[in-house]
Amino acid sequence: MVTGPKSSFGWVVHLSVVVFVALWMLPTVGLLVSSFRDKDQISVSGWWTALSTSSQNLVFRAPAGDGEEVVNGRYVLKGSVLDGASGQVSAFGFSSREPAAFAPGTVADLKDGVTLTVAGDGAFELSGPASFAEGRGQRIFYTAEVPPRFTLENYRNVLTASGLGRSFLNSMTVAIPSTVIPILIAAFAAYALAWMPFPGRSLMIAAVVGLLVVPLQMSLIPLLKIYNSVGQALGFDPKSYIGIWLAHTGFGLPLAIYLLRNYMAGLPREVMESARLDGATDFQIFTRIVLPLSFPALASFAIFQFLWTWNDLLVALVFLGPQDDKLVLTGRLVNLLGSRGGDWDILAASAFVSIAVPVLVFFAMQKFLVRGLLAGSVKGG
Amino acid sequence: MSQLWAALATIVIGISGAALYFWGSNLLLDRIYPARAADTATASRNIARAALIRPWLFLGPAILALTLYLVYPVIASLWLSLHDRSGENFVGLANYRWLFGDAGFRESMFNNFLWLLVVPAASTFLGLIAAALTDKIAWGNLAKSLIFMPMAISFVGAAVIWKFVYDYRAEGSEQIGLLNAIVVALGGTPEAWIATPFWNNFFLMAILVWIQTGFAMVILSAALRGIPEETIEAAVLDGASGLQIFFKIMVPQIWGTIAVVWTTITITVLKVFDIVLAMTNGQWNSQVLANLMFDWMFRGGGDFGRGATIAIVIMLLVVPIMVWNIRNARKEMEGR
Amino acid sequence: MKSTLLATVCASALVSGAVCAQDLKFAPGEDARFNWASYEDYAAKYNLDGQTLTVFGPWRGEDQALVESMLAYFTAASGVTVKYSSSENYEQQIVIDTQAGSPPDIAVLPQPGLIADLASKGLLTPLGDETQGWLKDNYAAGDSWVSLGTYKGKDGAPALYAFPYKIDVKSLVWYVPENFEDAGYEVPQTMEELKALTEQIVADGGTPWCIGLGSGGATGWPATDWVEDMMLRTASPETYDKWVSNEIPFTDPAVVGAIDEFGWFARNDKFVDGGAAAVATTDFRDSPKGLFASPPKCYMHHQASFIPSFFPEGTKLGVDADFFYMPAYAGKDLGKPVLGAGTLAMITKDGEASRAFIEWLKTPIAHEVWMAQSGFLTPFKAANPEAYGNGALKKQGEILLNSTTFRFDGSDLMPGKIGAGAFWTGMVDYAGGKSAADVAAAVQAEWDAIK
Repeated sequence: MVTGPKSSFGWVVHLSVVVFVALWMLPTVGLLVSSFRDKDQISVSGWWTALSTSSQNLVFRAPAGDGEEVVNGRYVLKGSVLDGASGQVSAFGFSSREPAAFAPGTVADLKDGVTLTVAGDGAFELSGPASFAEGRGQRIFYTAEVPPRFTLENYRNVLTASGLGRSFLNSMTVAIPSTVIPILIAAFAAYALAWMPFPGRSLMIAAVVGLLVVPLQMSLIPLLKIYNSVGQALGFDPKSYIGIWLAHTGFGLPLAIYLLRNYMAGLPREVMESARLDGATDFQIFTRIVLPLSFPALASFAIFQFLWTWNDLLVALVFLGPQDDKLVLTGRLVNLLGSRGGDWDILAASAFVSIAVPVLVFFAMQKFLVRGLLAGSVKGG
Repeated sequence: MSQLWAALATIVIGISGAALYFWGSNLLLDRIYPARAADTATASRNIARAALIRPWLFLGPAILALTLYLVYPVIASLWLSLHDRSGENFVGLANYRWLFGDAGFRESMFNNFLWLLVVPAASTFLGLIAAALTDKIAWGNLAKSLIFMPMAISFVGAAVIWKFVYDYRAEGSEQIGLLNAIVVALGGTPEAWIATPFWNNFFLMAILVWIQTGFAMVILSAALRGIPEETIEAAVLDGASGLQIFFKIMVPQIWGTIAVVWTTITITVLKVFDIVLAMTNGQWNSQVLANLMFDWMFRGGGDFGRGATIAIVIMLLVVPIMVWNIRNARKEMEGR
Repeated sequence: MKSTLLATVCASALVSGAVCAQDLKFAPGEDARFNWASYEDYAAKYNLDGQTLTVFGPWRGEDQALVESMLAYFTAASGVTVKYSSSENYEQQIVIDTQAGSPPDIAVLPQPGLIADLASKGLLTPLGDETQGWLKDNYAAGDSWVSLGTYKGKDGAPALYAFPYKIDVKSLVWYVPENFEDAGYEVPQTMEELKALTEQIVADGGTPWCIGLGSGGATGWPATDWVEDMMLRTASPETYDKWVSNEIPFTDPAVVGAIDEFGWFARNDKFVDGGAAAVATTDFRDSPKGLFASPPKCYMHHQASFIPSFFPEGTKLGVDADFFYMPAYAGKDLGKPVLGAGTLAMITKDGEASRAFIEWLKTPIAHEVWMAQSGFLTPFKAANPEAYGNGALKKQGEILLNSTTFRFDGSDLMPGKIGAGAFWTGMVDYAGGKSAADVAAAVQAEWDAIK
């Protein structure tokens, strides 16, 4: 660990990190809270209001006659506007124009001799000369202090989606080789670009930087054309796992080579030269010295590449297809949304379902992010 | 279950195939040109020959993959940019002429320029701060994970997250967007952040900065940890303060990595379109090049000629960065 | 349990030796509303066991379950195994797949503009004269459906490429009947009355409309429906057609007038919930929720027939919410125009199963099983209107039948860059305060640029 001077402003560091983390987390916390909220509430009130008791104007529709009794010649319908939930009614009304006209416990006169009263605990009594079975059921407007209410329904919807397990496996099958293969290829290439002299080396480095910028969307159609003709010539389905691994490898390589080359170029020259004097070949230097030393860089790239392939939808749809048996997790989650895609509840819950794996990977890889095996002594030339 | 095994098997085959190539090809090279030959002349000739070939063995798969997946599409784009919307009839430079007269293109160039000025600088700087601070504290790893989290969220998720930040409701009604709720609580009037031309660019940029800071932090943190302790200890003994050590000793040592992070984020900015597509799709004057390209490529059947033309322009914009990187690489090698 | 039940249904119902792949929602032969004869005839005629068909469509989520319930009958009758898939960006996906040469067998798309493009690039298979004749004879207002499905091919010759299947009515105004009762409002029968009601509500201290144009990357589209509806109510259908094909420019007084008609509603701070400034940024999925607030944030909401899926959970159509036909001006002799949209099926890869699928769409049963559920309207005359699954659908069916003019969503008919681009952006600018003439000029400039 790099330890700075033990100074009096240590707490400043802690405080700054706390502020930094809080700022970065705040938007995500909003989504996290929303993912536990009722679908209808998400777009009506701010997520922070979900954490405290709030005063809400609500509407309850009394059943149309179900459960009514005849008492003293009048039809009486009883129930609770809160419908089992907890809360405290502070006002009620029967018209949308005056939804809070009456205090709890008072009796409101509706037309045709019908009366309505709602108590503070939500119990209502509707009484009238005729049966309530005719009509739609009286609307009761009420204002209530509602305690925070959370639901696991959104997660249940997402996690019980049919085919989710399958899609999870598909995503794994896509993401793991799509992470490992480019790292392997890039590590060799990066070593060659950093430590093996050959003509045109700096041009190659420039080319790698240039290729970083090629827009992915641009490549899809030409590549799929090649895939299709190769598939046709050899008689197999062009949309296969091998195809998507290679595609992710191709798209991920420039960044991998660029990052790894930069890191490897910074490794101390003496170590390599002494190894070479001992008669080690480039291959041996690479596998025995450079690779272990480059672990932090390899790990950080692995994290990013895994993330991109895991969260990718476009490449998967194009090179693997949208069919049910090959659908990746992102595709499955997106398909849960309706055709017009406005289900904030599902969006919120699925965002956290799909984030779980990448965050686990990050935690697992974190110990490799500290410097390599020969740490401390190697850098310094 | 069978899917699991099939998946495992394909994973093992895929990865070991790649590993086998490197190991096998090197073995082959060593066999053909053995370094331990009978006489030293042969041996040194063999070593020289092997040294000539080996870089290409190492680079081979990468070059192959890059050529197929990136170079070939670039050439295809170049070809398409000289053709009409169906990609069949040659039109010369008509697409380029159209592009430079197009108001949408000028707007995108201006906005992209703003993005290029702000996002790489802000992300790298914040990432560096985050890396430096979290390296100093015991719960740094946890803090890192939390700052890193936005990177792990898909764009669909990020779009929803920021909807809950930027949402605008008229004055007087309950705000569900965090930013407007804060503004209202402080006595201000709510603003439609995303729909205010010019300034909305910065609100969109904030999203990318929020995401990319995690990237910069991870890379820079690895570099910071690679700084040998002796240099810092020496500075401490000289009585340098924490800030002095950071800016005068640590930052110069990782300058190369900072440049790499900067370059990478700059290129990400050139390619950014998911955020713009999801939040505004370029409306309210927030268009950027990559989204403009996407628009022409795919909307309503697509105009491949014009889409490709914009892609070529995006690729040309990276030339200064390439030149700068060549220079750096040359300098590095000379210094060696 | 379920599988045995299914097996008996399959065994008893199937005339041919077709596979019983999926749960059939309504047991064949049982419900008299359905035309089971058409199902059995089809099953007797087609025996394509072992073939598979890939279908790519715009329906996801609940809609996907609906289309799959219909496809199950196709599978049961023909023996063809169907693989349905969709994608969030289906528009982009279909362009990539067809261009690269790996299209699905059947594609179903809602945008005629996109279909026209695919046809002109030679990526679609003509459906033939027989299907053209069938549409003409069997769909209400058959000629207009034929012309909707007819596009110019690669050779420039027009041919029928797409089969209209499933339509939506757009000229609807949603409201809460009890809120109208509480305030003593009547459903307006003419546009004059609608405007008077709008002013009346303001005079009573309420807000008449909820309008939201927000839709992420597609922000602006709900306004195009408004403008098209107003266009049909202020100009002749022929003018509408000329507008859509740009025979008259966007800057034509008729178009600018229609935009300003929309502006009468949307640009008045008192007429819209949240004021005019909120129109462009309010999400279209959130805006109808204002109808159900207490007290109501607004009394009316103009939107197509799909919108109930964004009403609060538990909202019962016909009880908690209802709709009325967006009325026409009594003072203008333009009849009762209806704006609609819909999806069209096309063959992207020719084959026996693809052809059989188009034939399947000509059976009443292919329409009735979806009608009986939700969200499906059809102009197919032989489909039994009694099969409609709920009162709302039946009522929309009636609006469709009573219409004197039916026009397809103009923004879908325009080239994609306009109808799904410049027009949207223009409407966002208009909602933001730009003048109708400036907006129209900007859209026309873009249109000129792609010619």
